[in-house]
Amino acid sequence: MEYTRKEIGEGLNINSTYTDKFKSNYLGAYIIRPLDRDEVTLNSLLPMVLGRGTRTYPETLELKRKLEALFGANLNVSASRRGERQIIKFSMEWADGRYTGEEGLDGEILQMFREIIFEPYLEEGSFSTKYLEQEKRNLITRINNKINDKRSYSINRCIEEMCKGERFSIYPGGYVQDVPQIDGKVLFDHYRKVLLSSQIEVIYTGHNNHMDIEGIIPEEFLDRKQVTYVPRETIIQKSQNRNQVIEKMSVTQGKLVLGYRAGIPYEDKLYNGLLLGNEIFGGGPNSILFRNVREKHSLAYYVTSNIVKHKSIVLLDAGIEFQNFQKTVDLINEGLRDMVSGNFSDEDMEIAKKSVRTSSESIIDSPQLMSEFAFGKIIAKDDRSLEDMIRQLEEVTREDVKQAMSKVNLDTIYFMDGLDGEVQDESN
Amino acid sequence: MRAIRNENLREEIYHQELENGINLFYFPKKGFTKKYAIFTANYGSTDNMFIPLGEREPVELPEGIAHFLEHKLFEEPDEDLFQKFSSQGAYVNAYTNFNQTSYLFYSTDNFYKNLELLVKFVQSPYLTDENIEKEKGIIAQEIQMYQDNPKWVVFFNTLKAMYQRHSVRTDIAGTVDSIYKITREDLETAYTTFYNPGNMVLFVVGDLDKDEILRTVEKAGKEYPTALEEVERIVHDEPDEILLKSVEERMMTSKPLFNIGVKDIQLGLKGKDAIKKDIVTNIILDMLFTNSSEFYNELYNEGLVDSSFGAYFTGKRTYGHSLIAGQSDSPQEVYNRIISMFRRPDRYITREAFQRIKKKEIGGFLTGFNSIEFIANNLTDLYFQDFLLIDYLDVLNEITFEDITERFKSHFVEDRSVISIIWPKIESDNN
Repeated sequence: MEYTRKEIGEGLNINSTYTDKFKSNYLGAYIIRPLDRDEVTLNSLLPMVLGRGTRTYPETLELKRKLEALFGANLNVSASRRGERQIIKFSMEWADGRYTGEEGLDGEILQMFREIIFEPYLEEGSFSTKYLEQEKRNLITRINNKINDKRSYSINRCIEEMCKGERFSIYPGGYVQDVPQIDGKVLFDHYRKVLLSSQIEVIYTGHNNHMDIEGIIPEEFLDRKQVTYVPRETIIQKSQNRNQVIEKMSVTQGKLVLGYRAGIPYEDKLYNGLLLGNEIFGGGPNSILFRNVREKHSLAYYVTSNIVKHKSIVLLDAGIEFQNFQKTVDLINEGLRDMVSGNFSDEDMEIAKKSVRTSSESIIDSPQLMSEFAFGKIIAKDDRSLEDMIRQLEEVTREDVKQAMSKVNLDTIYFMDGLDGEVQDESN
Repeated sequence: MRAIRNENLREEIYHQELENGINLFYFPKKGFTKKYAIFTANYGSTDNMFIPLGEREPVELPEGIAHFLEHKLFEEPDEDLFQKFSSQGAYVNAYTNFNQTSYLFYSTDNFYKNLELLVKFVQSPYLTDENIEKEKGIIAQEIQMYQDNPKWVVFFNTLKAMYQRHSVRTDIAGTVDSIYKITREDLETAYTTFYNPGNMVLFVVGDLDKDEILRTVEKAGKEYPTALEEVERIVHDEPDEILLKSVEERMMTSKPLFNIGVKDIQLGLKGKDAIKKDIVTNIILDMLFTNSSEFYNELYNEGLVDSSFGAYFTGKRTYGHSLIAGQSDSPQEVYNRIISMFRRPDRYITREAFQRIKKKEIGGFLTGFNSIEFIANNLTDLYFQDFLLIDYLDVLNEITFEDITERFKSHFVEDRSVISIIWPKIESDNN
């Protein structure tokens, strides 16, 4: 496996990993924007409109059909949150010509990729009104759909309450109230600005080392003078709020989310202690919380904690009976105290190390994960190899874990509760 | 182990039936770090009624028993299996669907130790009244989690409308009521019958040594006194007719959700015939309901559907259905448009569309081979239909446009179509 990185314009880099392992090629373009209330909705809408038509394929139907004819080349567009960045991402995965029996399609794929990002279908110098209006409607639906998944909805609500006033609380999908004001000109001007002033990382994973990836960037976008690099997030050490937010909804199961501040930046050596500590605390089926909340007390089917790396926040969530709210919170608090006082075994340490190791090692089996991993390293300015990262995790001691977990302090509790008077299914 | 090779795909697979009856397959995946094993009982939520091993009279067990048993097999008298696997660097999990219960793990090292543990734990149940009671609370939470998921509810309402008696209409995990009725005896009866090695298959995928795999599994496999040929399952006679044309419910959602189901009556197929029907039907659905289709674009441009619109077919020996799903402010109008299209499909079912979708399927299948999970899970699913995954591309290549038009006529008819809708709950409904 061979990795290369080349800067072809200010803040514009081509990263390639060549490997013979896969039956497909994967190409991703990551455009890095600040997570900002003023542009979040524009950034969310932009890839949706760009995915509708290009210079050569103005009709969506033609575009999609062309992709299918290229053996189902899989185009994905998205806008998501990474810390306090919003990442507009375009990706294409396509079957390798050595297996489909039609080699030589790579050039066409690259051209298609170029057009989707840089050469959209335009009417009178702006986006098609039809596409824009349709995608505005779709975006509103998509934002409103948040409530359909009660678990992720609750996690988002906890983040909103906990990080009020911080960029991280901005919902990366955008806001319904912004949508009507967006017209073709507003979006198109924003689009030009995004292409000329953002850091852009193009990442290829596959076997073809003769592919002209640089060729996907048109000349005019290579001359970049004012690139805005998104600064590193600020980390808050101590909890700000000590909030408890309860929302009543017509649901069968209560959704509990606890948000903690850990205050340990990922650049800090102690961060590895937090990674392992979180794994032992609520990382998986071998965690303290899984054993206590689920296996011992039968309170939940899932109970999991996750770290938001760039903000050093820990988010823990569980689905429970409404009346078990306090009991569950007490058990979780007790679990955290156990972590801080070192009430976990050497075996727990070993298991956590192995678990993190296994998932890290699996990255190189998937072109998408490899691409995400490479991108994650770029934005974290982390030039360690995967092997280095794993080795450093192996060196973490019990003391590191205790010390890291002692910094984890509760900030906000969010609970999605049932409506008063609505009868729940009785358990027996 | 015997090698089965497919030249077009440039892949091979090894097979051996062990003495105790377990069928073992190994799919080499050179250069991959991750190694994966999946051990499956041919026993899912639809197998509620059967003749227990060694008996003559059929029994009917509470709904959700296969899934309950899946949870309980993780119980051991003196060790925590999750911890044991983790301490050997493996991630272990399990799932139950309509037709199978699978236990799986992946790891990057200690693979053979983990494989031994997998085979052993699935073959040694530890059921006590106490640990069964404890599990009920956990599973009740799992069931309630699904009850709040509108996509899940709209789907099961569709099945309940399409099928009159077939057990596919019952929830995979059962209901809170049904699982509280489950006893140790029920679980033991189910276990003895369905976890007989003759009813089980083990797939291993990764960069491994086939002889070492065989040795490990042979060592770990239990001897069974009663070899089993095939479990006698009782399937209720399911009429061709649907039960209800439509079913509606209100839930916490943003926009109305719908599923349109079309019941299949061309049943009883296996092997290549079953797989061919499956692929043909899915190609038709793609020709009509993916974003490259004329029909999809008509509805999309009118604002009747959005990008969540899509369809797939699933077919097993005793049941099958196409499902068209999406969200819309006018679900009934979407349904009407689909039914009219069923009557006059010529604009949409074209040779050009067929060729295009076929290429897409080929690409999708090949890309899937990057994923160890894709390989193992699909191998398992197809195995129970007497088909080997590596021959899939050959069947796909054989399909002609005539297969498409013929299947369209026989399957896509109004009489066997149902619609299920979830409407957003209005706040005043609760007060």
